[in-house]
Amino acid sequence: MKSSIEVCRQYAVRPVTAIRHVAVAALIWMLGWGGSWAAASDGLSIPEFKNDVVPVLTKSGCNSAACHGAAIGRGGLRLSLLGYDPEHDYQQLVNQFKGRRVNVADPEKSLMLLKPSRQIRHGGGRRLAIDQPGYEIVRQWIAAGADMAARRNVVDLIVAPAEITLESLDEQFQISIAAKYDDGSTRDVTRWTVFEPSDRAAVRCDSGGKVTVLRRGQSSLMVRFLGFVDCVTVTVPLTDQPPATASRPASNYIDEHINRVLDRLRLDHSPKSNDATFVRRIYLDLIGTLPTPAETKKFLHDSSPDKRDELVERLMQRSEFVDHWSYKWSDLLRIESRRLGETGASAFHQWLRQQIADNRPLDEFANELLSARGDAHATGAANFHRVPMDARQQAEYVSQVFLGIRLQCANCHNHPLDRWSQDDYHGLAAVFARIDRGQVVKIDERGEVIHPTTGKAAKPRIPGEIFLDQSDNPRQKLAEWMTDETNPFFARNLVNRVWREMMGRGLVEPVDDHRPTNPPTHPALLAALHKDFIENQFNLRQLIQTIVQSEAYQRSGLASGNNHNDQTFYARSISRRLSPPVMVDAVSAVTGIAEQFAGLDATRAISLGDSQIRSLPLDLLGRCRRDSSCTPNQGTSGDGLPLTLHIINGSWINDKLDDPNGRLRQLLNGNDDQTVIEQFYWLAYCRPPSPAERDYWVQQLASDGDATKRATLFADFVWAILNSTEFRAIH
Amino acid sequence: MKRCDGVHRREFLRVGGIPLLGLSLGSVLSGPTWAGNLANRRRITARNCILIWLDGGPSHMDTFDLKPDAPSEVRGELRPIATNVDGMQISQHFEQLAKTADKICVIRSLTSELGVHGLGSQYVLTGHKPSPVLQYPSFGSVAARCSDQPSLLPPYITVGEQQLQAGSSLGSGYLPDTYSPFAIEADPSRPEFRVRDLDMRRGMTLESLQRRREFLNALDQLSDQVEKSAIQDGVDAAANQDAFGRAYRLILSEQAKQAFDLTAEPGALRDRYGKIYNRRSRVGQSCLLARRLIEAGCRFVTVTDSGWDMHGGIYQALQRKLPALDQAISALIGDLDQRGLLSETLVLVLGEFGRTPRLNAAAGRDHWPRAFSAMMAGGPVKTGQVIGTTDPRGYQPVDRPVSPTDLARTVYEMLGIDPDRKFLTDGGRPVMVSPGGQTIDECLA
Repeated sequence: MKSSIEVCRQYAVRPVTAIRHVAVAALIWMLGWGGSWAAASDGLSIPEFKNDVVPVLTKSGCNSAACHGAAIGRGGLRLSLLGYDPEHDYQQLVNQFKGRRVNVADPEKSLMLLKPSRQIRHGGGRRLAIDQPGYEIVRQWIAAGADMAARRNVVDLIVAPAEITLESLDEQFQISIAAKYDDGSTRDVTRWTVFEPSDRAAVRCDSGGKVTVLRRGQSSLMVRFLGFVDCVTVTVPLTDQPPATASRPASNYIDEHINRVLDRLRLDHSPKSNDATFVRRIYLDLIGTLPTPAETKKFLHDSSPDKRDELVERLMQRSEFVDHWSYKWSDLLRIESRRLGETGASAFHQWLRQQIADNRPLDEFANELLSARGDAHATGAANFHRVPMDARQQAEYVSQVFLGIRLQCANCHNHPLDRWSQDDYHGLAAVFARIDRGQVVKIDERGEVIHPTTGKAAKPRIPGEIFLDQSDNPRQKLAEWMTDETNPFFARNLVNRVWREMMGRGLVEPVDDHRPTNPPTHPALLAALHKDFIENQFNLRQLIQTIVQSEAYQRSGLASGNNHNDQTFYARSISRRLSPPVMVDAVSAVTGIAEQFAGLDATRAISLGDSQIRSLPLDLLGRCRRDSSCTPNQGTSGDGLPLTLHIINGSWINDKLDDPNGRLRQLLNGNDDQTVIEQFYWLAYCRPPSPAERDYWVQQLASDGDATKRATLFADFVWAILNSTEFRAIH
Repeated sequence: MKRCDGVHRREFLRVGGIPLLGLSLGSVLSGPTWAGNLANRRRITARNCILIWLDGGPSHMDTFDLKPDAPSEVRGELRPIATNVDGMQISQHFEQLAKTADKICVIRSLTSELGVHGLGSQYVLTGHKPSPVLQYPSFGSVAARCSDQPSLLPPYITVGEQQLQAGSSLGSGYLPDTYSPFAIEADPSRPEFRVRDLDMRRGMTLESLQRRREFLNALDQLSDQVEKSAIQDGVDAAANQDAFGRAYRLILSEQAKQAFDLTAEPGALRDRYGKIYNRRSRVGQSCLLARRLIEAGCRFVTVTDSGWDMHGGIYQALQRKLPALDQAISALIGDLDQRGLLSETLVLVLGEFGRTPRLNAAAGRDHWPRAFSAMMAGGPVKTGQVIGTTDPRGYQPVDRPVSPTDLARTVYEMLGIDPDRKFLTDGGRPVMVSPGGQTIDECLA
């Protein structure tokens, strides 16, 4: 039983303010009951099952996935994972097993105490020692009658500090956690909070919340109490020296967040990129296309102070913008003809292009996909329901694409790292159980998803929220919930995905793995982007514009000061490899010979709608096959030997260089060596050669009037350009 | 970044990268053991490894850990047969293997908690539980990283289909892409099998080929547009040079290219690796290719055999899969032995988990990580024995549980790689090759 408030809370981001953690900790001390362990032993009140006993069970590991929290339980006792369902746990402990687990008349004889204190055999070893507070809380609860009554409910956690910057690795600090209750009271629950560092090699935390930082940089600790999860961000500056760059430019709110983290880390930022670098980067990022030499030169000569913003506006109106962003969405939505058929794939792609062209708000976009019906050859969006093979796959597909979460684990058991239960997984699958995935997508009268634990039909359910009625269009309910402005996942997932496309790294990585135990690098920034995106009605172009206007996006990729190792905090621009279709198109653009795709008129790889269209270069470059979700750089052949061998011996690039109609042959006709060299620099790198480069190549490519030799030398030169690091990068 | 022998990666590029023709095959093939100074932890180590990966998770109940006394819905249709080792019994389909059981070691008590293909594969193939913050390298990539002699062949090659449950688990993880496997996806059992783009293009001259490499070097060196000090960028000049260096070395060596040519093997030997319905099996020919590659200097070959994820109709499927596997493994062991390669080549056969002891309604078995089996041979493996026992119905180990971490530690020790050795990640964080776990001492001769 979780309220939507709780869900929001889990993912809501604490405002990053300069909280004086010591003061807050002191405040909690005064407000609370002062003890580092709680409720019962101070004699002020009787422990409650939900508020006191369950946290003891969680803290002691009793309800973890490896023990009684497993889907099938352990040793006959099955508790809800991490105590997410106290009522179930109460039934199990008090009423099941003939009531032998608690003995109100003689509390010490309760199995619930004898086993974990190892007075009798317990497979899980000793979990509660007799002289420890946890044992005492459980004992007092039993002695008082072992009831389920709760006088209050937790409504919030106060974490202090929420973020902290230490001066050096030797310093330790103490985390204090206070629970706020609906009756207005507050209590220190540090002792019963679970602490989990996201990276144990970076941060160590003892069971009482005392933290030792082992590595410089920024890391995070997840804190969990009852259903509440929050995060503590710990920073130790990367250096003891103050940064060389004292003041940091800021274009919009993005920079304020980025700069604050850079300040904390004492990381230098690189200066703004020059115009030539910017024009190449922005063309490749927005429209997946190299600027022509004429376009580059026009931009460089433009003296308008707003020329970067103006260029961004213009590029977003280009048809290649639609191609490029449709390709990205096609990867995500897995448009391919093996599942959908050629007509279906094509209809789906056409629909997608129209949405991008119209800048359809992404909430409406998702809504239409989820509720689409009809002939998939005519109604493109209906193919959305035909991508997955069955309801379970669709639950995984929808949660991954739109919610950015991995629900798969909860198929067989409750998710070990997150809050998803089997009810959530099979419940979401049940939402899609009655979809007929034939060519005509429609809703059947029947169709169930069997819950593996109960063996019965799973009830449709919005994950983590409420059960739905199978007869009351649960798909529509899901769509409404998902695209509601208060939904904690949908918009957050989308802004993070777009951020990654533009910046080279997601604020949450991997992008489809949002969960409390995998916190963002910049929580406040993600929250701000999320909020902004909703305020602007899920406007994709506007989101892109906001990102590319930031200094963080426009920075140079060249190292400055101490930032050469940075790949995480946007101190410098992250170089990225051209994506497979963009690389194919860039090679065509420089050589002047378009790539042929069998049976198609299309000559641009970014315009392809179906990943089954044959193309050896795209395969070797590691394009997404769209049979499962693709995260970049995961293939084994993306940068592998097969690609390199093909570039050296194969047809893709070599045929284009040899082609008599190619740009090389044309330019060699009637131009001197230096002109040809310069032209290829403009084509490929969007800049003129430096004097050193120009002189070097004029000398290397001299052919003493031998035309054959000249053609060979220049072919070798262009081949090398196409394989150079600068060409293959968005930098 | 330091290599295992302490040579800086960039220095290596300069040492090994530029003189294109400076390497002779002989110096490569007859080099010292590849683990260098790490080898002295254990006296006998294997130089090479062939990993036969049964993608999807083979049923332990029907391969190496049969339960003839269990109820029929557990024991299934297959019966155990005796082997040439007293007391060791394996599946009835393993007829050939039963005759060479003295050359294998079976572990029956592998156990893990991860029953999803991706996570399970990562765990078994890296020895690390999957982490949200770090992708770990596979055995083969670590072996490639530790291979301290330049080889004309890539040090790590995978043979098998591309679309695998194991996915990226065979990759280089946090290690640079350089240590990713050279993936041969073509089917070696097909008559037209060849590795694409290995031969020089018609009309291309050696002079031009070399010049292109020099020009590429020059362009990267002259450009000041891409950060060079940072090796962790998605685009890395040193990695780019390295990739071309490896490709050039391979292309320019006829002898190295021969290693990929299965037609150089006698037909009778090719047949011995197994036929199904009168056609040479893919797994068999892949194993034969693995042997050729190892012989020619590759250090680690992973043969992936897919199709083991048998949720339904398991016995029809096994009827084809098991005999093919039987012939392939037994021929491989025999062939390696005959050539004197077995003692220096570890052979490892396993998948990401076992399968449910109780047959499901579709006459299949589902994922079961709590208990599964592995087979080892060659190198320093103490053979002719079974390690570990599962309960009478195959649910979990009752004796000598072995975690993937224990297995990884053992494999690394066998290969002379110090499991506690640290490598740096992109962010400069040192990570141990395979921390924790206990070496399975009884495995080692």
